[in-house]
Amino acid sequence: MTRAAVAAVAVLIAATACQRDSQQLRGAGAGDISVPGQDSMVGVTDTTGLPAEGVLSHVAIGDIAGVGNNTLDATIRSPFGGNASAIREGGEEFEKMNCAACHGYDLKGGMGPNLTDTYWRYGGSPADIYKTIFEGRPQGMPAWGRTLTPTLIWKLVAYIEAQGGAFPAALADRARQGDVGDHDTTSGSTMKGRNSAP
Amino acid sequence: MSVAIAAIAVCGCGTKDNPGRTASTDTNGATTSVAGEVALPAMAARGSAWLPPGAGDGDWMMPSRDYAGTRYSPLTEITTANAGQLQLAWTFADGQSTYGHEMTPLVAGNTMYIVSPFPDKAFAIDLTKPGGPLKWSFSPNPSPIAIGKACCDAVVRGAALYDGKLIYNLLDDHTIAVDAATGKELWRTKMDNIENGGTMTMAPLVADGRVYVGNSGGEMGVKGWLAALDVNTGKELWRAYSVGPDSMARIGSDFHPFYSWMRGKDLGVTTWPANAWKHGAGAPWGWVTYDPDRHSVYYGTSNTGPWNADQRPGLNLWTSGVFSRSASDGMAQWAYVFTPHNEWDYDGVNENILVDLPVNGQTRKVMVQFNRNGFAYTIDRATGEVLVAKPFAHENWASGIDPTTAMPVLVPEKETVPVGRWVRDICPADIGAKDFQPSAFSPRTGLFYVTAQNICMDYKGREVSYIAGTPYWGAQMTRHVGPGGNYGEFIAFDAVTGRKVWGIPEAFLTYSGALVTAGDVAFYGTVDGWFRAVDARSGKVLWSRKLGSGIISAPMTYRAPDGHQYVAVAAGVGGGAMTTSSQPGFPPRGDTYYVFALGNAIPSTPAPSTKPGAP
Repeated sequence: MTRAAVAAVAVLIAATACQRDSQQLRGAGAGDISVPGQDSMVGVTDTTGLPAEGVLSHVAIGDIAGVGNNTLDATIRSPFGGNASAIREGGEEFEKMNCAACHGYDLKGGMGPNLTDTYWRYGGSPADIYKTIFEGRPQGMPAWGRTLTPTLIWKLVAYIEAQGGAFPAALADRARQGDVGDHDTTSGSTMKGRNSAP
Repeated sequence: MSVAIAAIAVCGCGTKDNPGRTASTDTNGATTSVAGEVALPAMAARGSAWLPPGAGDGDWMMPSRDYAGTRYSPLTEITTANAGQLQLAWTFADGQSTYGHEMTPLVAGNTMYIVSPFPDKAFAIDLTKPGGPLKWSFSPNPSPIAIGKACCDAVVRGAALYDGKLIYNLLDDHTIAVDAATGKELWRTKMDNIENGGTMTMAPLVADGRVYVGNSGGEMGVKGWLAALDVNTGKELWRAYSVGPDSMARIGSDFHPFYSWMRGKDLGVTTWPANAWKHGAGAPWGWVTYDPDRHSVYYGTSNTGPWNADQRPGLNLWTSGVFSRSASDGMAQWAYVFTPHNEWDYDGVNENILVDLPVNGQTRKVMVQFNRNGFAYTIDRATGEVLVAKPFAHENWASGIDPTTAMPVLVPEKETVPVGRWVRDICPADIGAKDFQPSAFSPRTGLFYVTAQNICMDYKGREVSYIAGTPYWGAQMTRHVGPGGNYGEFIAFDAVTGRKVWGIPEAFLTYSGALVTAGDVAFYGTVDGWFRAVDARSGKVLWSRKLGSGIISAPMTYRAPDGHQYVAVAAGVGGGAMTTSSQPGFPPRGDTYYVFALGNAIPSTPAPSTKPGAP
């Protein structure tokens, strides 16, 4: 997706949020809020190469009761992880959608939780973070799944990952068990360095 | 708060159960002390006698104790001579250490009442038994969505006792009344929609059968409002907005602002760009005071939304100001805006303390507010005329308040518009030279006791779009300590001359409320957990104890059923004090109330008992 297309999607989304607000808050009188660049509206949703929503729905927030594990689902890799332009676009979106106002411009928390430490109430793997943005969470985190495209949400995930608090997808299952220390006696993999203050 | 508290007054406030308590009822139905008091200057003392109905001299039935907001107690057992002998009597933990404790405990007769931060539990504590066992507890189960919509911690600032009811606000936008005798819910009224970002954190004021409540959410693009509810049913009687056309702001023919720039039609709309008032905030999340003689309520309005002032050219009325309204119908009588076109988040919500002071040789009925913006305002509460406006702490954003227009004279280099650039070292910071933490006034000394803040900020305004349920904020900032390196200072202030009389600098923020007594002892706490008793005349520290967490609640004092005077305060740091949490030595959060009395008043160790709640 080109940067221009992403911006266009963002504009569409902001306008949609604005309309929804108008309906909910006042019942009428849409268009009273100035959103930058509201006049150009192009809707493009390209999900090529992204994990399917159905797969993500199998990622559990908690541990799994009974037999089985969710390692496969939780280790869905971040499609834009490490992609510099996607990270930059995610960062722009992070401010535009008011994420920064709650989680801090430095992501270190405020009204909402710190996103740069290794404490993740609802999981810190890329798939977990995607789900949290998409679904919302009960302590005031709004659900963005109807407002932002999958592409944009994954770019937000890439941006958050780049700030250092997220767990690598491959280690998601270990992180879920709190294995964020330097030594793991049950497996070869460790989370060395992930728990130290940035 | 004015009807007799049936259950409590009968069993608690009378002399039968409390031999040490003597009270008489004046013509307003309020109860004033006659026991062993020093004669008070009649005019100055008037406000401290405006008590909720049924309140005895040893009671504390609303956060500020009286309708004037003085936080002055007539109790005299604890004095400057013996305050050094204060000892811990008992403690109570409410179990909610996740969030800050900004509330004041209440006492009526034999019972103490406490409300916790989210999930907004209520507790009744039996003061007749050693250790203060629980009489009942109540869990309202508010929506957790509210946690993430509260800008500055999931706090509640207290409750009010009235007519046998404990009344307070839930963070999820409901006002609730609980039977004070049983802990059973009596009514619950939905005041707003939590998904739009507004919350409720303030303590209600209850007078003459009406409950006054307002919203929070100055960072969420709300419209501020104050509403009056029927105390018996919870039914809304009227609601007045801080923005919008005169019909919404309840501005009519009785509205007479003192200054010409606040006169005109629909200024809550016309002092904004088109439609910007709809998310302009002005949320009255602080304190309400009540003058029963004028039958008026006074309350301030929050910061202007968004913080980015570039998106809202104009005076932005009626945010960052104060209203005087008719208590019965909510119609505005006058307004004054402290910080028009607010560029720094200087809310106007701090307490308006109602006192009579000799200004320019004349006794004036005034309200005094120590504003976030660093100025102490002494305002004629009948007319809205600003009589005195002087800094009470370090500020550098305004060179003064113009005596003719009462508008601030801005220092251009501290303006945050145009946005998108860092403006360095603006004092005070967004949390103000004083935040919500309430001051006290002693009619004996004529002085105000204020926990001032010495904090500054670097500020960068940022463009922001309104998205419901997310912050409508538009600012980025860092904060640092002001000149001298002391974040806090407890000061005594003369609101007639506009001068500080004395001050006690503190390394950490002073973010607790203040208390002053007829024993001439003032109390305050610090964010690093020191609770201090001070000579109210000299400022000499008489006694200090380190508590388990930082103190951001307001202390209170009461006379227990044993006839002795106790002082209570909560230690549970949080709220706006967390802006300084990176300061070395900043304490962990807490959830504990500490109750002190003179050492010889504390009962000897009771024998263990197998009977629950018994000594």
